[in-house]
Amino acid sequence: MQALAAAIEAARPRVVAALAARFRDLDLAEDAFADASVAALSAWTQEPPRDPAAWLWRAAFRKALDAIRRRAVRDRTAFDTPEPEPTPEEALMAADAPIPDERLRLIFVCCHPAIAADVRAALTLKVVCGLTTERLARAFLVAEPAMLQRITRAKRKIAAAGVPFEIPGPAAWPDRLEAVLATLEIAYAQAYEDAALAGDAAAFAPEVLRLSGLLAELTPAEPEALGLAALVRFAEARRPARLDDTGAMVPPEAQDIGLWRHDLIDDGARLLDRAAGLRRSGPYQLMAAIHAVHAARRESGATAWSDIVALYEALLVVRPSPIAAVNRAVALGEAQGGEAGLAALAAIPEPARLAGWRPYQAARAGLLAKAGRPAEAAEALRAALALSPAPAERLFLERRLAQLTD
Amino acid sequence: MQYMLLIYEPADAYEGAAGQAQLKDIVAKHMALAGELRAKGVQTGGSGLQGVATATTVQTRNGQQAIHDGPFAETHEHLGGYYLIDVPDLDEALAIARRVPVCDGGKVEVRPLIVH
Repeated sequence: MQALAAAIEAARPRVVAALAARFRDLDLAEDAFADASVAALSAWTQEPPRDPAAWLWRAAFRKALDAIRRRAVRDRTAFDTPEPEPTPEEALMAADAPIPDERLRLIFVCCHPAIAADVRAALTLKVVCGLTTERLARAFLVAEPAMLQRITRAKRKIAAAGVPFEIPGPAAWPDRLEAVLATLEIAYAQAYEDAALAGDAAAFAPEVLRLSGLLAELTPAEPEALGLAALVRFAEARRPARLDDTGAMVPPEAQDIGLWRHDLIDDGARLLDRAAGLRRSGPYQLMAAIHAVHAARRESGATAWSDIVALYEALLVVRPSPIAAVNRAVALGEAQGGEAGLAALAAIPEPARLAGWRPYQAARAGLLAKAGRPAEAAEALRAALALSPAPAERLFLERRLAQLTD
Repeated sequence: MQYMLLIYEPADAYEGAAGQAQLKDIVAKHMALAGELRAKGVQTGGSGLQGVATATTVQTRNGQQAIHDGPFAETHEHLGGYYLIDVPDLDEALAIARRVPVCDGGKVEVRPLIVH
């Protein structure tokens, strides 16, 4: 049973995408695939057929045609509508042809800028990966009816506004690709936050790993697509080492190299090399490169902090953010000493707002301790602890505080 | 598919001598774009609209109709004109919407028409 379900899930993206592209209707594609899956579970009594995707494609194609025919009959009672396209004969011939690979088209449809940014990630995970609305609602912290409504509204807009089931043309390509990459980044951020991968976004990590790999494979000349795929691989590689036995957070430079997933690091490095060969830098490549420097500790035995400082500086030029500025200061502290890091931290604009921001207080605590100012470091740690850290970070900060005040 | 591109611009966009000069420039760009779209058979209609000072609104409420001076709502942004176009999909409509000349702060809303 588990093998059958796994075979169905593995076939889903390709079959749903082909159906959606063929019939230009996301709901029809999802419903037909669901019907075909039910049929498969009773037809495949022991084990899946040799080519489960082809079986599901043929079955779902027929289900979709049935649905169109039923819809046409229903509509004809009210209006005098013409025969639906395609005719059943033509369509059955099409179903016998190999499954066209329309996955990239489907990703572009779900990540269209005409859909609100926060809905794109949920819609992509729903339509392309088949995650349930219930699971998405829990992961994105909304009630299930609200999530269902968002997804329904997005699908309705795609149909009504005429969002094309096409790969965008050259003029729209950069914007559209960026929207796709940002969508995958949002989905992955949900999974990354949950270090133990025990929560509601647990299913996102393998899906984003798969989707980003697929995108890199389908757009091999896009360095940022390769960069994002590398980034996700490097980050996932370190997941088993991110928490210690007590559940406390472990920073990258202190992680046990033996726990890292070296296969993913190798994949990430290969993708990043290919991206670099295309000679167009960008934020995802830079973020992946920062991970790559951390990962390189497995060969060199030490973290090359000055490289990390340089990469954060490049990142701050193309994509400025408070977290990148804070991380640069921390890296500078490691490379040149606590006072240098504190000076960099002090140079970040809007100190009043930063004071109430946990990553800033945590970074400041580390730099103050490094600079030999334990009393101030303890004060910063207390400030960070008061800003409701997640349990893993709380344990980490509490331990640091205990070490300082011993 | 048919789409309407609705052009919204700040109410004070073309005030003053500099505003009038900009208006002249923008109108010339509209003429050029409309000419190109008509030649391609993409544009099915459209026009600029006179200012909201010329607007009169008929309102229906509780079965009664009343006539008011002015636009239906007092907003900072005014509907200044529209294009009606017939293109294959939203991406083509958005590509044309990007080319519609507007002043700084202007917006072009893209709405599909209901097809009967």
